[in-house]
Amino acid sequence: MPGPELLSSQGLRLDGRRPDELRRIRCKLGVFTQPDGSAYLEQGNTKVLAAVYGPHQAAKSKLSTEGVVVNCQYSMATFSTSERKNRPRGDRKSQEMSLHLRQALSAAIKTELYPRSQIDIYVEVLQADGGAYCASVNAATLALIDAGVPLKAYACACTSSVAWRGNHPEALLDVGHVEEAAGGVCLTVAALPSVDSIALLEMSHRLHMDYFEVVMSRAMQGCKDIEIILDKAVREHLAEGWTKPDVITI
Amino acid sequence: MSGHVSITLASERVNHSVAANNEIPRFFTPGEVVCDLHDFMRGHGTYVEDDKIKSSVAGVMQRVNKLICVHPLKSRYVGEIGDVVVGRVLEVQQKRWRIETNSRLDSILMLSAVNLPGGELRRRSAEDEMAMRQILEEGDLISAEVQSIYSDGSLALHTRSLKYGKLWQGVMVKVFPSLIARRKNHFHILPCGISVILGNNGFIWMGPQAQNLVSREKDDNLVSASENEDNYDCYKGLQTVTRSNREAIARLKNCIAALVASKMMLDVTTLIFAYEESFKYEEVKELLDPEAMLDVAFLTQHRLNTIMDE
Amino acid sequence: MAGMLLSNAERFYIWDGVEENFRSDGRSNKDYRPMELETDVVSSASGSARLRLANTDVLVCVKTEIDTPKSDKPGLGSIEFFVDCSANATPEFEGRGGEQLANRISNLLQRAYHSSQAFNLKQLCIFEGKQCWKLYVDILILECGGNLCDAVSLAVKAALFNTRIPFVKAALMDGGNIDLQLSDDPFDSKRLEVGTAPLLVTLCRMDEENIVDPTAEEETCIAVSIVVGVSGNPALYTSSEDTTPSDHKCTTISMSGNGGILPDAMKIVIAEGITAAKCLDEALGRTLLQERNRTNLQKKDSYGFLK
Repeated sequence: MPGPELLSSQGLRLDGRRPDELRRIRCKLGVFTQPDGSAYLEQGNTKVLAAVYGPHQAAKSKLSTEGVVVNCQYSMATFSTSERKNRPRGDRKSQEMSLHLRQALSAAIKTELYPRSQIDIYVEVLQADGGAYCASVNAATLALIDAGVPLKAYACACTSSVAWRGNHPEALLDVGHVEEAAGGVCLTVAALPSVDSIALLEMSHRLHMDYFEVVMSRAMQGCKDIEIILDKAVREHLAEGWTKPDVITI
Repeated sequence: MSGHVSITLASERVNHSVAANNEIPRFFTPGEVVCDLHDFMRGHGTYVEDDKIKSSVAGVMQRVNKLICVHPLKSRYVGEIGDVVVGRVLEVQQKRWRIETNSRLDSILMLSAVNLPGGELRRRSAEDEMAMRQILEEGDLISAEVQSIYSDGSLALHTRSLKYGKLWQGVMVKVFPSLIARRKNHFHILPCGISVILGNNGFIWMGPQAQNLVSREKDDNLVSASENEDNYDCYKGLQTVTRSNREAIARLKNCIAALVASKMMLDVTTLIFAYEESFKYEEVKELLDPEAMLDVAFLTQHRLNTIMDE
Repeated sequence: MAGMLLSNAERFYIWDGVEENFRSDGRSNKDYRPMELETDVVSSASGSARLRLANTDVLVCVKTEIDTPKSDKPGLGSIEFFVDCSANATPEFEGRGGEQLANRISNLLQRAYHSSQAFNLKQLCIFEGKQCWKLYVDILILECGGNLCDAVSLAVKAALFNTRIPFVKAALMDGGNIDLQLSDDPFDSKRLEVGTAPLLVTLCRMDEENIVDPTAEEETCIAVSIVVGVSGNPALYTSSEDTTPSDHKCTTISMSGNGGILPDAMKIVIAEGITAAKCLDEALGRTLLQERNRTNLQKKDSYGFLK
């Protein structure tokens, strides 16, 4: 395998993580007041803001009687990458990301409940340090929950890659920017872990089919781990904001 | 004449949570199994999969006989027949108005669902259709009741009662609907002389009490006015709100903001308590300060707790 | 912000309030809403700041790049502003929806910073005629609750105050080219002199009164608004005594809206703008110094959006 050694002789990665270790995830629901739902999530040094508007009356051109229209926009702040970006959105990559976001989130939203409505999901990447798409999906899920939009399950996304320890393949969970830049396989999975269904899968570079299973299952495991972290954050948020419908009357 | 400027550091941000003396309920999150399907029916916020009722939102479960619902912390307004709402006219269409009520679809107010000037029940003529914009135009605020719910989920409103109709001078604030406590009455006149409408949809209206009476007379003038010019004069003819009423409305508005920041339920009791406690701060604008907001919310919660204990 | 509907009666209520010098949240015509500031929130930038003014939320990042100076200004660096209205703020900004507003604000800033008395570009020079620093000031608007211009200008000044530029360790002359070696140590860097950087004050004219810091509702009731850019006083931004204070000077004036204003009234507006800018400048300087003193004592916890 070309490029720098992704695994040290002790089996640790470039940033000191174990192969199956996620970066630290910190998140908060309800960071803004204007949108119906919002969330902030950081995964290592990747930082993402998501806002949800709706469900509201769909624009006439988009209106669908089948179910709710999910409208996504993925945008990267000009300062999010180490090399300054010239424009935040509209380029091919962010358009593709917008489509991928919509695919993953539509799988989770119970779209059939809200005909003629529309949900707008806007994601703003503040800092990109690898896995920006995954962080976006995770943040958007939290924002949807904050907005009270009915979901089948949490939609979580995670990446995984592969490194070699001798001749033995070892799958790496939650690929960081350095590992991404080193080249090699990058498998992105967006899934609904609690119902064991894959909403989106994408892979770059080449990978021998024999190893696909290893990499894939590691990414799925990552999604499950993320779901646990998100669920904990949601419960904390509920506990903080819950007011029991009072019983007093004068 | 220089004004007041305050810039604080994020590290000094106040935490708005106010400890209420209630235990934390069991929460359900999306995808979590609530119960078996056999004995129960699924309601809002749930769905059925593999013979299990699962939650689709994050919130608490409510059981009414056999019906299982999960209520999220906040969401768009889900209307029920008989609810009092405050809404804003978005568009004048043929024979109906489109009203924004914070629902997932725009609400509808039919021409046949409003009281026409003159008061008597009469057929809606073609002239009435032409004059719709003189009754309500884009941007106008109304209070109304949910009359029925269409098959697609949008709400049909009516204002066929003297207490409903166009709202005049005053202030509207938006909060999320789940913070409005469901009560028999949502129209209140507070001791300070301010009339408050706590719309079930989370829109709260505050205006001077006496003015509503003045405006109702104006209503007739409005319709008889044929040109926009006259229309404008009619507004000009509105009495300006007195300083004391204005101060009371501003104080009330800031109190609501304080209660909402601490996520407290709003009903007439909490509003009156918060309003009274807020007099600890002499000037209304002091209540914009986050620490003062927390203090008001805290004092209000304290008074609520004392009442509940008794 | 466009797209916000108000009824005529609500408008009259707001107008009457301004006439009484008692606005709908109890503020007088010259009061600002409370603001909250945090600097150093984005680690991938040389300097950053986030400012919240009620529910207007602005994030500003400064990135540095090495550039060759223009041939007619060999001793000066350059500064460029880019505003992005995030769709997070309102769905109207989706796609290119916010572009017009964004361009307006970035042009305003560019003009306000143009004067050498407002921002000294000489400090960005590395090697006269050959190399200089170029500052990219990227502004991201995350939520709109009225009075964007003032909030943006405050956040920009705070972000510039927070910016560190690495020292040049060595320069190798190789023919006509210069190869710079920059210090890698983040603490081996210089701060910018930003004391004179301008602040923008928006004054909205309603009848005979001028108000500052309009809410989104108030903005819909305004015929004319005037933005005044006023340079700052460097003495407010340093704890040492030897900086000479300088007067607040007007660096840009811009009018928008479809109403007119009398020349005499304009003079008053500008004078009021300068007074308001003075108050803002003092408050900002105090807060920034307070934060810097605190971070000198102990490592700062970054709150960002988590708290």
